[in-house]
Amino acid sequence: MEKLLSVLVLLMLVPGADAQLAVVPAQPAQEESRLLGLELLWNQAVQAKDTRALEILIAPEMVDIEYDGTLLNRDLYLASVASQSVHAEHIGNESMSVHLYGQIAVVIGVYREAGTESGKPYSRRGRFTDTWVRRSGSWLCVATQSTLIAR
Amino acid sequence: MRTRTTGKAIAVTVLILTACSSAMAQAPELRASRSKVIALEHAWNQAEERKDVNALDQIMDDSLVYTDYDGAMMSKADFLASVKAPARHPEQNLTESMDAHVYGDGAVVIRVYRVKGTVNGKPYLRRGRFTDTWIKRNGTWLCVASQNTLISH
Repeated sequence: MEKLLSVLVLLMLVPGADAQLAVVPAQPAQEESRLLGLELLWNQAVQAKDTRALEILIAPEMVDIEYDGTLLNRDLYLASVASQSVHAEHIGNESMSVHLYGQIAVVIGVYREAGTESGKPYSRRGRFTDTWVRRSGSWLCVATQSTLIAR
Repeated sequence: MRTRTTGKAIAVTVLILTACSSAMAQAPELRASRSKVIALEHAWNQAEERKDVNALDQIMDDSLVYTDYDGAMMSKADFLASVKAPARHPEQNLTESMDAHVYGDGAVVIRVYRVKGTVNGKPYLRRGRFTDTWIKRNGTWLCVASQNTLISH
């Protein structure tokens, strides 16, 4: 399962890799679809605790601001995903929009997550902003932030 | 004290920061871009404190998406309206720390802030983290996304 996710991520990252037509620049609609696909794979990788797949998605200098304001770098974020005390059972995105600015893309969405932490159930709904950078033809996330939606 | 002159001065400062790069021409491009977006962040704070929506208008792209500390999402027009709302009186907007990462014509700024003021006569005090995403368009840096999360520990 982990290997499969990693391969899927690699295929999604590089424009044209799936169609073997890398010489043809991807269109904005294709880039949007690719970024939305990467966001979904990210959720699946977190649920599967597949940190190898996440390493492919996330830039080494990535900065993560969690729902409680905690700041994590990539290593700390991957460690939090791999932690055996947290089990994300469901992560789903209710809505997402992609804003493309050349080599920069911003994905804004609403997520819902449920699982257990140290044996206790949790459920969260929040808004996220992910900033992606296209580097050597691949999209990498450089910043992600989550804010809970007040009820 | 807020005056029209002060508002104009901020607007002029913002214009200089966004359009004029000659002063930084000798510095490496990356360093200059980093300095510029950090200066724009400070200009944003000042403009918000003074309710100077003209200055804010110049540093925000029309596509700006702003996510507030309670998860509310605002367009640029919504955000500017919230800044100038008569019920809102910001008194202080301090930056505790700030870091900027530049990616060519894009930049990400992470900032820890502390704000206080009153809304409808009730005092508020908040501390949180921001991620602001900037793009450079025709030589001008513009903020396209800003998200705010309270620090709860």
